[in-house]
Amino acid sequence: MPDFFVNGQPVHADKGQTVMQAALAAGCYIPYFCWHPNLSIAGNCRVCVVEVEGEGGGGSWTDIACNMPVTEGMRVLTDSPRVQELRRQTLQFILLNHPVDCGICDKAGECLLQDHHYQFNGLPSASTIPKVKATKFVPLSQRIVLDNERCILCSRCVRFTREVSKTDALGIVSRGDTSLVRAAEDGAFDRDHYSDNVIDLCPVGALLAKSFLHQTRVWYLQATRSVCPGCARGCQVDLWHRQPEWQLNAPCFSEQRTRNRIERVTAPASSPERAGDAVDGPWICNTGRDLARFFERPRALQPMLKGRAAPLHAALEAARRLLGAARRPALLVSSWGSNEELAAAARLVARHARAGIDVFVKADRQAEAGEPIADDLLIRADKNPNTRGAQALFGAAPVRFAAGTDVVLVWGEGFAFGDLPRGARTILLNAFVQPENGHADAFIPISVQTERAGSYTQCDGREVRFAPCFDKPAAVAHAEQVFEALAESVAGARAGGG
Amino acid sequence: MPGRQLIMNFPVTATSHRLADYRARGGYQTLAKALQSMRPEDITKEVTASGLLGHGGAAFPVGRKWAVVNLNDGQPHYLCANADEGEPGTFKDRWILEHAPHLLLESMLIASYALQVRHAFVYIRGEFDLPYRRLQYAVEEAYAAGYFGTGILGSDFACDLVVYRGAGSYVCGEASALITSIEGKKGLPRNRPPRLTVRGLYQRPTVINNVETLANVTGIVRDGAEAFKRVGIARSPGTQLVSISGHLRRPGIYEVEYGYPVVRFIDEDCGGILDGRRLKCIVPGGISTKVLTAEEIADLTYDHKAFEKKGSQLGSGGMIAIAEGTCMVRLLQVMLRFYHHESCGQCTPCREGMGWLHRTIDRIVAGDGRREDIDTLIRVSEANDGTTICGMGDAAGYATVGILAKYRDEFEHWIEHKRSKFDGVLDVAQAAREPADA
Repeated sequence: MPDFFVNGQPVHADKGQTVMQAALAAGCYIPYFCWHPNLSIAGNCRVCVVEVEGEGGGGSWTDIACNMPVTEGMRVLTDSPRVQELRRQTLQFILLNHPVDCGICDKAGECLLQDHHYQFNGLPSASTIPKVKATKFVPLSQRIVLDNERCILCSRCVRFTREVSKTDALGIVSRGDTSLVRAAEDGAFDRDHYSDNVIDLCPVGALLAKSFLHQTRVWYLQATRSVCPGCARGCQVDLWHRQPEWQLNAPCFSEQRTRNRIERVTAPASSPERAGDAVDGPWICNTGRDLARFFERPRALQPMLKGRAAPLHAALEAARRLLGAARRPALLVSSWGSNEELAAAARLVARHARAGIDVFVKADRQAEAGEPIADDLLIRADKNPNTRGAQALFGAAPVRFAAGTDVVLVWGEGFAFGDLPRGARTILLNAFVQPENGHADAFIPISVQTERAGSYTQCDGREVRFAPCFDKPAAVAHAEQVFEALAESVAGARAGGG
Repeated sequence: MPGRQLIMNFPVTATSHRLADYRARGGYQTLAKALQSMRPEDITKEVTASGLLGHGGAAFPVGRKWAVVNLNDGQPHYLCANADEGEPGTFKDRWILEHAPHLLLESMLIASYALQVRHAFVYIRGEFDLPYRRLQYAVEEAYAAGYFGTGILGSDFACDLVVYRGAGSYVCGEASALITSIEGKKGLPRNRPPRLTVRGLYQRPTVINNVETLANVTGIVRDGAEAFKRVGIARSPGTQLVSISGHLRRPGIYEVEYGYPVVRFIDEDCGGILDGRRLKCIVPGGISTKVLTAEEIADLTYDHKAFEKKGSQLGSGGMIAIAEGTCMVRLLQVMLRFYHHESCGQCTPCREGMGWLHRTIDRIVAGDGRREDIDTLIRVSEANDGTTICGMGDAAGYATVGILAKYRDEFEHWIEHKRSKFDGVLDVAQAAREPADA
């Protein structure tokens, strides 16, 4: 039984739904700027206007769809000539004082105003009066600059700080066409650990990330769905990196600049239609925005034996011999390992079960100075993505070496080598350049999350998947392959020895 | 006197606004009668039967607004008197606040009883000084006499009143912006639905009435709906306080009985136009209503239907008489400067449209106008009609379209000749020096 009609088609609506919600759910697009599924209704952009046909020959009326409750049997038109005309007028108004500087705007290419203008207006400006001047490049915080001329005063960012991050850090000052978005007080927006979401929320190019300002055009980039490893929440994120065909090959660009660089990180739902894909709503914290800094530290690319460079197969062979000869080996499992890698590690442990192997899950990363520890929105105190997955396989016992431990396999970071049992030999699997790498008896460089596919089990037990953005460097191994190789050799050694 | 009087029916003296004088005129006896002998719903029934229309501008039937409030819904209700009299040309409520504040307070007490309101508010315009002091003084007098607080007049009815001063925004006279302002937020209008009588102040059912509307309630409850309906005419019962200004010999505030001839009001009661000139047009009720030419009002009576038939409204009763020789281009420029300045900037059509209108008329007046500018003014005005959150966008559009439809030639003349069709302006200063009755 259809509840109401959109353009003559029967559409179902749940109780309390607005016309906008029901129409979007039914696949009928109504344009909007200020409306957002996760924020309150502001109804100020007026572009979602629809026509409601009068009943029994009564006159039709128009109003905004985002604030219109569905009533049984109502007949809504989203594309009638009257609606088209009103929409055109509203878009004329919105563009009246907009600088239309798309050529130098970071938002160009993913801008709602551009899209709606081309789809619903397309006319040149009807105004011949000078545009209103406003402030540009206003630093709202250490991370965000604001261009008030581009701002269309949709108030999404203001509502975000009131309703989601609850810092009340932003507001609109003054009135009329001189209204300006401003930070409530100096530094208020700096204290908002979710501030960068307003960049995604901004339908135009008014709120811009300093880190991404004038870096690249978005149409050179592609997004890869990934998971933020910053804490146990495991928020889904989009990692934006250059499409292969748009790599910069000129010599003036350094290797670091052009290859394997994460240009920016966004929440997976840059547009609200994709909100359903997200694990935890369309928000991510600022730590997640900066996750590139986890991966873009100097990489370890050279396998080593006691600090001397060696080929990968030699390092693997050395590790195999160490493990095979161990009387009491121990394995320190990385809480940054994917479930697939952990499964491979578990197979290695199973092969070793007869001889006995001590397995501990270690916390690879602790909260850094100044980093928010935990809050009641997203941020969790455990700063590792897969502690839950690792502990499900290997238990939650703290690292405590048994007497006589003679070989320790350390996987990942966060272990102080001073804590090693006296005289124990070490196999180290690490992705980054660290002094300990040279001290290990066998050092094998491994890949990072952006170079492989996999999944984490986040704090609530859900499995979140990530896809590779880049190829791994040739000289490093995937930890999964290392464990497979070691497991085979252990099995082989046991078989051979027995 | 333009007809019978319901509110300005006592001589104004140095003490006529005080509680003692008000009591001597029979004040607060109606409250006692209501509390002792009437149920809340009886009062609403009486007000509905009286056919009282809102005096703030929209002329919405008061009884219908009150009837929406469910007395038994178990949640607090609020009553707000809208004393944010900001419509240019309107200054009628200030007369009530200055000279009959107790009439307003008694009416609000009766209305609070009818709507089961525990906390009532008066949102008073920030620029009002004497009206504010008189009202505040009256509130203190009423509290001291036991008309507010708990156990009012020995009944179990309790009511408190807060006088809230605005900060000078025109939009805060709009009901939803007004309550948002009372809540301590920036005075921005809200989207409907929900209606304010369903979810208003602090998300509770709220009734907001104009000061003059509320001031009529005491009389209706005291004398009954039938007596009220005998004043005025059937379709517009009662009276309207008209604040008339402009090129008149005797501008000021008059209580006009509905159905009174407009020309007679202007020529006889207000003494006619200054300097013996002819009337050009009137702004009927605040600048948001469409102007009516002298010909259009020739045999017009002062009531809602008659003005609607001529394509205008009574509005808030702020009438402006404009004499022959006044330049409508400059008049519209002043109006649009006002609307541009007062647009709250929340929703798109008004925020951008008011600036567009203002800058366009400024350019015309500066002598750089283009022929298509007149059509731009009309198009922008019409694009504001019914597309904004509150009525302000519509209002500016009505004013602009109203003037352009009737005086387009003056705009074309200015664009072509880069100056006004009327050389010089009406010398009001000289005219005012003449004795009024000359």
